[in-house]
Amino acid sequence: MFSILAGLLLSGCIRTATPESFFELTPDSAKHKALQTRLFETSNEKELLSASAAVLQDLGFQVEESEMGVGVLRAAKERSARQVGQEILQGVVFLIGLLGRKAIIMPVDLHQQIGATLVTRQAEHDTSRYMVRILFYRKVWKGDGNNGDQYIPPGEQHMEVIDDQEIYQQFFAKLAKGLFLEAQQI
Amino acid sequence: MKNRYLFLFFGLCCTVQACVAPGPQKPPEDLLSLSEAQMKMRSFQTRTFDAKDDNTVLRAVVAALQDLGFIIERANAPMGLVTAGKFAGEGFTGFVEVTVMVRSTGTNQTEVRVNALFNTKPIDDPKIYQNFFTTVERSLFVAR
Repeated sequence: MFSILAGLLLSGCIRTATPESFFELTPDSAKHKALQTRLFETSNEKELLSASAAVLQDLGFQVEESEMGVGVLRAAKERSARQVGQEILQGVVFLIGLLGRKAIIMPVDLHQQIGATLVTRQAEHDTSRYMVRILFYRKVWKGDGNNGDQYIPPGEQHMEVIDDQEIYQQFFAKLAKGLFLEAQQI
Repeated sequence: MKNRYLFLFFGLCCTVQACVAPGPQKPPEDLLSLSEAQMKMRSFQTRTFDAKDDNTVLRAVVAALQDLGFIIERANAPMGLVTAGKFAGEGFTGFVEVTVMVRSTGTNQTEVRVNALFNTKPIDDPKIYQNFFTTVERSLFVAR
């Protein structure tokens, strides 16, 4: 009886692995779409895609995937992810560790890949306008570290979507300039 | 006496080893056959939409995946194929991958088949696929 009760209590605490939210829209979805999308007064999708590829090249990206039939471009660039703040924190943690006679080397961000996926699509009920949606994201890899006797191997990875408004505005301003057109918000 | 025990122990070791390593195993006969569970999975991974143009559906799928925060990794319009992925987000650790195949069924309908993996394991919950198709339907409706 006790074990059943304990089991029920424990099952209440553990989160069941049914990730239904993977394919559910969130309240932020519309906000992200507005940030990442602009409308252009053109019916020439090819020109829109090649101008987008040119802007990405100007920004130092390498185009890795392109498919004209669905209007998809994927590009990436590699950069260092070192941050002074993180390295200072690493030093402080190391000194605190020394007080406890333990060598603690906190892993810090070492390398990052900045990626961009761009998709063009005809505007709703309007054949003379095209939507351009771009998503910027970054993958960051951490270096190695140490926690006392335990070695922390390098390569821990995390990803984040870049939602800095200015970056998107700059990209669309450059694209509009390249197309001699005005970028309209959705 | 000691030698006898040693002999017995050696014999036992040989028997145990024979049980553990029976040599190269034959692959199971049903390795490539379609099981009932796989048939079931195929049915909830597939949805037919009332749309004539498969490219319109493919573009709606791409837009739906973007709305859901996926990164489009590969796309092939002539084959109607899209591969995308995203990090699982808050509360979960790992990576979600999807492959979507869009093909015209000849009539005025288009079939969409999706396979989703979470940390390289197939997702077998029908509710999750239902959520995906709801988003595609919304995206398709908006495009019309």
